[in-house]
Amino acid sequence: MSETNPAELLAPGSIRLQETAADKTEAILACGRALVEAGCVTEDYPPAMLEREQSISTYIGEGVAIPHATLAGKEAVVRDGLCFLRFPDGVDWNGNTATVCIGIAAKGEGHVDILAQLAQILVVPERAEALRLADDPDTVLRMLTPSAATEGE
Amino acid sequence: MTTIDPAAVKKLVVACDAGMGSSAMLASTLKKQLAKSGIAVEHTSVQGIPADADLVLTHAGLLDRARGVAGSTPVVPFNLFLGDPAVTKVVTALQNGRPFDV
Repeated sequence: MSETNPAELLAPGSIRLQETAADKTEAILACGRALVEAGCVTEDYPPAMLEREQSISTYIGEGVAIPHATLAGKEAVVRDGLCFLRFPDGVDWNGNTATVCIGIAAKGEGHVDILAQLAQILVVPERAEALRLADDPDTVLRMLTPSAATEGE
Repeated sequence: MTTIDPAAVKKLVVACDAGMGSSAMLASTLKKQLAKSGIAVEHTSVQGIPADADLVLTHAGLLDRARGVAGSTPVVPFNLFLGDPAVTKVVTALQNGRPFDV
């Protein structure tokens, strides 16, 4: 029983902080590409992310969306992983503006602790803002590392 | 309309399409909020709602599918993954042990 290392789920190369996207479809596909490049998913995964978005939006509030696939897309997951893409100019998400997209690919449960940490951040507006403004990968990873008692920023 | 007795709720399930994203996040929040009440909180795909669930929360867009799987188990729909009033109502009632309608 080994604890999942956040840095393994969220590799430095998968934290991209200066992205641009014309719309949410582009933003989701950028997340899909990051997950493909990280070796987390096959090329079949990004279309499944778009499919899921059509049924139910993955916008969760505080400028954050968590694009991921439907159940069918799980077969395209090679290994569990996340990506963190920041769109400083924002992306329209059904009338909301998403600044951060956290793409998810998961067969297991290892990533849930990071999502739990994300939820803890987003219920405190100041911390949510700090996450949206985080401009280096180390800060992002530190904020999303579970049970970080306090923020360094 | 069904009235839920909090004492009869041992397992709360958050169901979503894949069970990997939004439901996992909401379940993790509820787990913390309900830790003292001794209620088990799980997240699953809609298809995977377990037979021993006492109460199911799911996105409004999945309500029909969730009801189809959950059978007689009450299903509460929500629209927001963070701060949805319907979820807050359930959590508050469970924390206080007060019966509530769904």
